[in-house]
Amino acid sequence: MRTHVHMKLVSAALAALILTGGLAVGASASRMPGQHLKGHATPVRGGNLVIDIETPQQNFDVNQTSDNESIWTYDQIAQTLYINAPDGKTLKPCLATSYSISANKLRWTFQLRRGVRFSTGMPMTSRDVAFSIDQALNPNSVWAFVDSSIKSVTASGPYAVVIVTKHPWAPLLADLALFANAVVPYNFGGKTRAEFFQHPIGTGPFELSQWVKGQSLTLTRNPYYWVTGQPYLNSVTYVPVSNSSTRMIQLEGGKADVIEGAPFSLLSSIKGAGYELGVFSSTRIDYVTMNELQKPLANVDVRRAISYAVDTAAIMKAVFFGYGTPANSPLMPNVNFYSLDPALITYNLAKAKQELAKSPYPHGGFTIDFIAGSGDPVQTSVSQIVQAELAKLNIQVKIELMDPSEVTQQEQSFHFGMRETYWTMDIVDPDEWVSFGFDGEAGSYSNFTHYNNAQVDGLVTEAEQTFSTSKRAALYAEIDKLVAANAPMVWLGYSPYSYAYSPNVHGFFVYPEGNAHLENVWMSK
Amino acid sequence: MRRYIVGRLAQLLFVVFGVTIATFSLLHLVPGNPARTLLGAKATAREVIVLTREWGLNKPLPVQYWDYLTRLVHGNLGTSVYYQSPVNSLIAHALPVTLAMLGIGALFGVCFAVPLALLAATREGRITDHVIRAVPLVGLGMPPFWVGLVLLVVFALAIRIFPAGGYGAGFGGHLDSLVLPGLTISAVTTPILVRSMRASLVEALNSEFIAAARAKGLSATRVLFRHALRNTLIPTVSVLAVNLGYLLGGTVVIENVFGLPGIGNLMLTGILNRDFDVVQSVTLMYAVVVVFINLAADLAYASLDPRVVLGR
Repeated sequence: MRTHVHMKLVSAALAALILTGGLAVGASASRMPGQHLKGHATPVRGGNLVIDIETPQQNFDVNQTSDNESIWTYDQIAQTLYINAPDGKTLKPCLATSYSISANKLRWTFQLRRGVRFSTGMPMTSRDVAFSIDQALNPNSVWAFVDSSIKSVTASGPYAVVIVTKHPWAPLLADLALFANAVVPYNFGGKTRAEFFQHPIGTGPFELSQWVKGQSLTLTRNPYYWVTGQPYLNSVTYVPVSNSSTRMIQLEGGKADVIEGAPFSLLSSIKGAGYELGVFSSTRIDYVTMNELQKPLANVDVRRAISYAVDTAAIMKAVFFGYGTPANSPLMPNVNFYSLDPALITYNLAKAKQELAKSPYPHGGFTIDFIAGSGDPVQTSVSQIVQAELAKLNIQVKIELMDPSEVTQQEQSFHFGMRETYWTMDIVDPDEWVSFGFDGEAGSYSNFTHYNNAQVDGLVTEAEQTFSTSKRAALYAEIDKLVAANAPMVWLGYSPYSYAYSPNVHGFFVYPEGNAHLENVWMSK
Repeated sequence: MRRYIVGRLAQLLFVVFGVTIATFSLLHLVPGNPARTLLGAKATAREVIVLTREWGLNKPLPVQYWDYLTRLVHGNLGTSVYYQSPVNSLIAHALPVTLAMLGIGALFGVCFAVPLALLAATREGRITDHVIRAVPLVGLGMPPFWVGLVLLVVFALAIRIFPAGGYGAGFGGHLDSLVLPGLTISAVTTPILVRSMRASLVEALNSEFIAAARAKGLSATRVLFRHALRNTLIPTVSVLAVNLGYLLGGTVVIENVFGLPGIGNLMLTGILNRDFDVVQSVTLMYAVVVVFINLAADLAYASLDPRVVLGR
């Protein structure tokens, strides 16, 4: 934990020092989805890209891993039938070229792309696809909730695959673009599951070449990649460097070409030429959950009062150094069917007092436990700000700092009052977040709040089974409105991904779901 | 001598046993489940339970401890649940990094401390003495992560003579990468060594055997190096050993600043993710290394001072 404190101190105190050392990151404008970097002339083939990442890749087993570094690396190795487009809202065909759906909306037939090979040279067929999706259906998989609609998947001839759903299911294409559904060789190419995911094989632009766990991971060009001419890079090496100041120094010192998690605290103070700043719009939404199993928080007026009392704009400014924006909907702007939610509660202390007056606790006078990870700067800052603001309602917030691992445990066993956390999307359909976050019937107890609203649950199911885009948009707007009014969470806001990279790196773009398509990246001399 | 070493190694067994009990109980007493950590925020209770069972973490603690000991006796340090990889291989990759860093740090410490202490002791009470006693304390007062960053900014960015962190490739690359971390360590060890060596040197230089040596007509250099310095090395060796043991626990900060994939980083990731086998094994490794450093110091004692006879 000491190290986290050190890192925080270092980021703040050393900004000036690093600047005098010569680090200069060019402050270019924040990039919205779909807005690619302007390429310099024609891409050049070759180059070995080094990316400093914040934490090491841990595990590629798609039934177990929820680690973003692993997922984003796996995306370079293995591909899905459809993939997310750069706008984060639409889908593009990838290993499938088209699909058709039966009249009863239960049977989907996918035509596979011809001439696709795994990095071993083996051609990809429907047998591989059926096997891959089937292994992802494991009910004990952490991603089972995304694939829960799928009843069966079968090969139909060498280049067609049929998926039958349990009920009509609109988000299926988006679900199939989840990394866990990526295509791997049939029967893991004869290996055991554990062996295979130590060295996964796919049809992606790169193949895993070397992985020294916790130290570095190198991908090299897949010689059989199906897109002619791509990828441009010979190799990509990921090096985990947990200290953000060290990552900046490595970029400046030429040890890294791209660094992940460039500290927000330094971005605004660093102006000048030399390095590209990549601030990419994300799907991250930060919020404070409230445990409805605890008495005062079970009351909707109390939750609304708390939501009114928290100055989200001030929090986003303080925590993300001006790079965050306050929430205006329980959905994030980069997800499909997002719309501004007029019912969302925003900071207003007078209204907070009015709401509290309507509750069984008109004068406050109760205590809430706020659990936070002791080394987590966002969680600790938010807990302190919330503590100060709720004091104005005579609500006492007791901050309990604990190890991050313990925070999750306390949350999932409901031994807490409030906690700060965030969600990022893995697919383009809001169903992933809405069903996990607000559906009381789902196994996640509405994102571990025990929020239960039968009307919302019904609407979530209806939105899943409705195919008309306009109808779905109306349903999600209705869900947003209800959820906003019930205030199971205090919606804080949205924040981008921050990267910095060398000026000779071109085409580097991070999608709202967090992955970068490195097959588009090239390096000039 | 051999009997002494065998005896000390036998004591090591007790140390190991004690450490396994202590780390195992501490780790399992604090809340936190590695399955929950691995599966993350999107997992529900059901998936966590299944994985916990699959990893055998639902078994009674004495059974888990017994399994752990049995594995240990067979030289198997277990499996990292975080990396899904044998702990033996993780440690095999990380330990050399840390040991090399400590070794280089100790070497730098000695290289700086010996001439400084000699200079200070031979000019006792004069301005040089005061400066040498005071200035290195600044190094001791600065936190290692700060020293490390300053060194990086100066020697990797301003004058680009050393790499900006990382571990480099090949022997030369590793060595190059370890210079700045080594210097950071020496910022801590040098002041301590200088003070202890200076004090012993001053004491030795004022003692009767030095007066006798001088009276014999030996040259000043010979008296200083052959007679005085040799006697001061004994307390220095023990001070260095104690500090290396202490630094071993503190390497995580230096590794973090330099982006070095050493044992400290492995330990920190292990603790944060409740990677039981990793934390247990690394703690054990620390204990064993510290015992060996102390043993080496005792052996060095014997070879430096003929009066010290081990094993009696």
